[in-house]
Amino acid sequence: MSQVPGTDKKTKLLVYTIEECPACGQKTKRAFAVGDYVTKDGAKCTKCSNQTQISLVYAESSKPSR
Amino acid sequence: MFMLTSEVLQVPFDISTLTALFWVGFILITFFYQTRLQSYLALNDISRGLNKLGVMKDKARKEAIDYLVTVGKAPNDPTQRVDQFLDYVTIMPVDTDPSGIMPKIDHVVTTNNERVRAEVGALLSSQGGQANPVTVSIGENLLEVATSLNQIHKIVRHFYLLGKKTNSYFTLIQLQMLMPMIIQEADALLNAVDSFKMGQPVGDGIGPVVVSRYMQGKEKRVIAKDTVMAITEYKGRKLYVLKADGPMAYVGQPGVAIKKVIEEMGVKPSAIVMIDAALKLEGEKTGEIAEGVGAAIGGIGVEKFQIEDAATTEKVPLYAILVKQRILEAITVMRKEIAEAADKVTQVLNRVIEEKTKEGDDVLVAGIGNTLGVAQ
Repeated sequence: MSQVPGTDKKTKLLVYTIEECPACGQKTKRAFAVGDYVTKDGAKCTKCSNQTQISLVYAESSKPSR
Repeated sequence: MFMLTSEVLQVPFDISTLTALFWVGFILITFFYQTRLQSYLALNDISRGLNKLGVMKDKARKEAIDYLVTVGKAPNDPTQRVDQFLDYVTIMPVDTDPSGIMPKIDHVVTTNNERVRAEVGALLSSQGGQANPVTVSIGENLLEVATSLNQIHKIVRHFYLLGKKTNSYFTLIQLQMLMPMIIQEADALLNAVDSFKMGQPVGDGIGPVVVSRYMQGKEKRVIAKDTVMAITEYKGRKLYVLKADGPMAYVGQPGVAIKKVIEEMGVKPSAIVMIDAALKLEGEKTGEIAEGVGAAIGGIGVEKFQIEDAATTEKVPLYAILVKQRILEAITVMRKEIAEAADKVTQVLNRVIEEKTKEGDDVLVAGIGNTLGVAQ
C-alpha cells in the first residue's frame, strides 16, 4: 500500500482507490496500486458483475480521527 | 560571612559590590551589543533552516534523477542534464510599460514549458522512440519541484550571506521571521514528490475530478494544448465541459480553450462556471466549498486574463466554485475530505446551472487544476 507522510509528520497517510459500479452504485474500497487513475476500469462488480470504474483516489490518516 | 570572604580573598570590596558591578556590566553589554547578540542568534537560526533547505533540495534532485532512471528508463545518465536544468532561468518581459504585457508573458512561459517537455522527452526516449506521456509529465513536475527548491535555497543563502557579510541586523531579522513560512512551503514541495512519483491525484485536481464525471462516455476533442473538451447536456442546457488532458500531470490551457470556444466556435454561453481548489485561511476546514463570481484560476495570471477578457467582451457572467485546502494538501495526494467534497461540488454546480441559466442555453464548465491521476 502506498504511504505518504501526513501533515504533522507523526501520522502516515494510507492511499485508497474507490471503484464504483455505474449500474448498481456499489462502491468498493481497496489499496491504491500504481497505475490507478480516476475513470480507469476496475474489477467486475461483486453485486451485479458489471464493469466498475475508479471514481476516486484519496488518502486518509492511518490514525483513527478523534 | 561576606566580610570574612572578602578578608580571606584579600579583595577590597564585598559580594554586594561584586553583584552590583556584574549588573552594571551586564546592562552596559546588552545596551551596546544587543543587536549584535540578536544578529548572532538570528544567524544561527537561519543557518539551521538553510541546512534543512539544502537537504530538501538535494533530496528532490535525487528523487527526480532516480525517477528518470528507474521509471523513465532514461537510456543515458541524466544527472548532468538535470543539474543544468536546475539552474535554468526564465526572464520575464519588461513591465515598465505594462500595456500588452500579457501576450509577452504568455509567450515566455509557453516557450519555457515547451522546452521543459522537450528536454524531459529527449532524456527519456531511446533513439527514435516516444516516451510515455504520463511519465514525461511526471518527470516535468518532479524537475519543477527540484528547480523550485533549488531556487528557494539559493535565495535564502544569498540573503543569509549578505546579512552576515554586511552585518545587517534588519536583513537577518527579516529573514529569520520568514524562515518558518519558507520551510513550510519547501516541505510541501518535497512532500509533493511522493504523490507525483506514484501518479496519485493531488488536492488541486478536485476541479478535474468533478468535471470528468460530465465527460464520461462523451466524445472528447483537443481544444487547446493539453486541454480536452466534451459536449454534453444537463436539463435542456448544452454544456461545453473542459479540463486538462489526464491522467497526465497537466494543467492545460483553459484560457486559450475558453477563448477558442467563444471566439472561434462562435458559442455564446449564458454562463462560465469554473471549479478550482483554493487556499484556505487558518481556521477554515479542508474540503469546505465556497461559491463566488470571477475567474477561479491561479498561476501567473495569463490564463485568468484570457478568461476575463473573453467573458468581458461577450458579457458572460463568470461563476466560481472553490474547494478550500492548504498548500500542502493542494500539491500532495488528495485528502479524503477534499475527495468527498466532489459530490457536494457536483450538486452545487448543477444548482448554479439551473439557477443562472435556462433551457436551451449554452454553458461553459471548466475544471481547473493539475489533472494527474484523473482521466476523462
